[in-house]
Amino acid sequence: MTNFFYARLAASNIKKNGQIYFPYIITCIITIAFYYIMKSLSLNDGLDSLYGGGTIRQTLGLGCNVVMIFAVIFLFYTNSFLMKRREKEFGLFHILGMEKKHLMRVTGMETFYIAILGLGFGFLFGIVLDKVMFLLILRVLGREVSLGFYISREAIISTIILFLAIFFLIFLNTARRLGFSKPIELLRGGNVGEKEPKANWIFAILGALSLGTGYYLAVTVQNPVAAIAIFFVAVILVIIGTYLLFTAGSIVLLKLLRANKRYYYKTRHFIGISGMLYRMKQNAVGLSNICILSTMVLVMISSTTALMIGSDDLVSSRYPYDFIFYSKEKVYGQTDFSDREAVITQALENNGLTEKESIRLRTLEFSALKKKNGFTILKDADIEAFINDFEVLDFITLDDYNRTTGENRTLNDDEVLVCSNRVKMKSDLFVLDDFQFKIVEELKSFEYVGGGALASNIASSHIVVVKSEEILNELYEYQKEQFKEMAQEIDYIYGINVDGEEEAALNAYMEMRNGLNNLEVPENEVTGRVESKVEGAQGFYDIYGGLFFIGIFLGLLFTVAMILLIYYKQITEGYYDRERYVIMQNVGMSQKDVKASIHSQILTVFFLPLITAGIHLIFAYPVVEKILAVLNLSNTRLYVYCTIGCFAVFSLLYVAVYGWTAKLYYGIVKK
Amino acid sequence: MAILEVKSLNKIYTTRFGGNQVEALSNVSFLVEQGEYIAIMGESGSGKTTLLNILAALDTPTGGEVILDGENLSTVKEKQMSAFRRDNLGFVFQDFNLLDTFSLYDNISLPLVLMKKEYPEIREKVETISYKLGIHELLRKFPYEVSGGQKQRVAVARALITEPKLVLADEPTGALDSSSTDSLLNLFNKINEEGQTILMVTHSIKAASHAGRVLFIKDGEVFHQIYRGNNSNQEMYQKISDTLTFISTGGELDD
Repeated sequence: MTNFFYARLAASNIKKNGQIYFPYIITCIITIAFYYIMKSLSLNDGLDSLYGGGTIRQTLGLGCNVVMIFAVIFLFYTNSFLMKRREKEFGLFHILGMEKKHLMRVTGMETFYIAILGLGFGFLFGIVLDKVMFLLILRVLGREVSLGFYISREAIISTIILFLAIFFLIFLNTARRLGFSKPIELLRGGNVGEKEPKANWIFAILGALSLGTGYYLAVTVQNPVAAIAIFFVAVILVIIGTYLLFTAGSIVLLKLLRANKRYYYKTRHFIGISGMLYRMKQNAVGLSNICILSTMVLVMISSTTALMIGSDDLVSSRYPYDFIFYSKEKVYGQTDFSDREAVITQALENNGLTEKESIRLRTLEFSALKKKNGFTILKDADIEAFINDFEVLDFITLDDYNRTTGENRTLNDDEVLVCSNRVKMKSDLFVLDDFQFKIVEELKSFEYVGGGALASNIASSHIVVVKSEEILNELYEYQKEQFKEMAQEIDYIYGINVDGEEEAALNAYMEMRNGLNNLEVPENEVTGRVESKVEGAQGFYDIYGGLFFIGIFLGLLFTVAMILLIYYKQITEGYYDRERYVIMQNVGMSQKDVKASIHSQILTVFFLPLITAGIHLIFAYPVVEKILAVLNLSNTRLYVYCTIGCFAVFSLLYVAVYGWTAKLYYGIVKK
Repeated sequence: MAILEVKSLNKIYTTRFGGNQVEALSNVSFLVEQGEYIAIMGESGSGKTTLLNILAALDTPTGGEVILDGENLSTVKEKQMSAFRRDNLGFVFQDFNLLDTFSLYDNISLPLVLMKKEYPEIREKVETISYKLGIHELLRKFPYEVSGGQKQRVAVARALITEPKLVLADEPTGALDSSSTDSLLNLFNKINEEGQTILMVTHSIKAASHAGRVLFIKDGEVFHQIYRGNNSNQEMYQKISDTLTFISTGGELDD
């Protein structure tokens, strides 16, 4: 009987406080749905079939942790403000004869209901959203993605465990507050403003340290392979730093504004600033949440868009010709590949493809250790050197260069042209042990037939154009001497561009491969291999389709979450402020003043998250660039443009959402 | 000179369903002279609050008019109403209506800020008024940190700071203990002696006994009025008490 009483009281309490509970329940539902989707995505079997599936899985797993931290902070804070609003009510119950243990029982029941509602609708919403987004993105991409839609039992279980734990902690916190409070304090509770955190300066220092370290890690990362792991450490540090600094910083900023009397005692600033100081912590957490979500959205969408827009670019830089044949030349002293070329020509003919243009050239490629004054391949060179310090050198002759580019350059024996894929030489001299050349020009870009593989290399690579075949041979002999059995050969490359259907090109490619495999070649020779642009592009889209999907999916998800967050902030604050605005309107505040004050509040702090997100984005640039390099996108300018574009579009969205929610807010507070 | 003229005021409420009509005020007329301190008494449901809301321009009458210092309230445009209220009226409420987000200092300065005054002027006025009302020490505190009597003094300071033509007080002692009530009433007398016109709605005999004139409202009509003349507060109290007894026992009076 008594149990039933508490259960009913709890239910009616939630209903009675619907105005403040409704947004809270919505928040719980969204957060749960959000976590479930992340978790289930990270457990999706389809990931394994993706390029770098393991890395993506690891990334998503870390992403889940980020969402988890986010969920804990967010739910904890929204709940504690909600409880504060209800302290008066608790005080009344207390005075009417309910003991603290009874009150705890009631709040326990309430928390339980919220948990059930949140989990139930959270899963429903999560599963539906998962499916809808899935279909939507497939439509946008217009191609199959190997990630299937599925409902993950494991994800459901882990979501339930996590959120029951969070709700339990929330309940303990409420119980703690009730346990330590006196009824009279409770009765007054709702009116008391938030106190400034005692150790605000410690917050500020810790925040600055955390943010600084995060930025430092992101900026100094060198190794693209390590970039992903470092990226996540940096992300966590930046999140912590953002929370701490926003808390400390926004309070300091608001107090400074309040101290500036001439600014503070203006109709438009007066109300907003005092209101924000009144709930300074809630304000700070709300702003940090928005800032972090905005940053996530921007990084995710801009890098994915860059990959997507860059994909055609990527394909054509990876495959500069429709068909490319590679073989080794030098070691066998062979210069005649006519039998192999015959196989290729035959295959083209059989499939009705006509040759537009073709090119044949030679290139020598090996790794060298980068030293202060140049490169070395000496045996006794620092063997402790990091793999990082090795860079790839790719030599071709001026004749081949001129034929490829159609230019007509000249060089002296001691002069070279250099083109680097990542880090520029920034020197007048090119030095390799005893070889020394004057760099006539650092070329901005040079796409040549053999350069495709080089462009996609994540290591720093340099194409060096030397004057003559003699010099190329000298270099060849020198590296052979140093590397011995590890030495590289001079590659023979034959590239062809054709006219014809994709289908035909694919068939021709199959024929070439078979033909080359079946070709009888002399004992010491290698057959060589052939690459096709069409076939490569297909594989490429297969690989990147999944990535696009995940990027866009999470980007949209975070955007939705951010919009809801802003909505939540405005709505709850609207209800909190309503009473005050009504009083002020009674004392003589006009509708115009109300509007002006709302806008001033927005202009003072609400664009802070957006600006901070922009700064985060700038510092994320080096590490994101490295990660994109792993994914083969080396066109960093494209990434920069995409980021700027995304930031602009996102800002518009942000402004629109604020405009919309400011209107809602106005609707709530006006009489 | 009459600062406030109330002429044959009517207010009829129509219930939402069925169209039953309730007459909250019927044919209420009176004048308030410059510098007068007037109390309006009546039981719950007598129409006191409706009258006050109409005088405060928070509600509109069904018939009749209110003229404040020569200006008819019904001719003031909706858009200018807030400014009009702010510039001409001061309010003291039963439950103080102070803002939790503001320190007491900021609460007092609110009307001036809304009037877009410059800070030096605001500071000077807040300091003057707070010394006068004896709350100068408290200005840095927040409403939840001070007592009810102190809150009401702050509310009075907020009402007076714009030097309004008329202060409207709605049960100002309703939430106060007896010593705070005494001190507030003395304060009202003091500011009234300095020339401030006050109109107070109350059902506390003690509060009304401090006023210069008491109007009695019953069933939406002005039923009776008592002038202080040379009576002391004590005598005033007795007269009001007698009148109320008379009204509640249903007697008719002619004065």
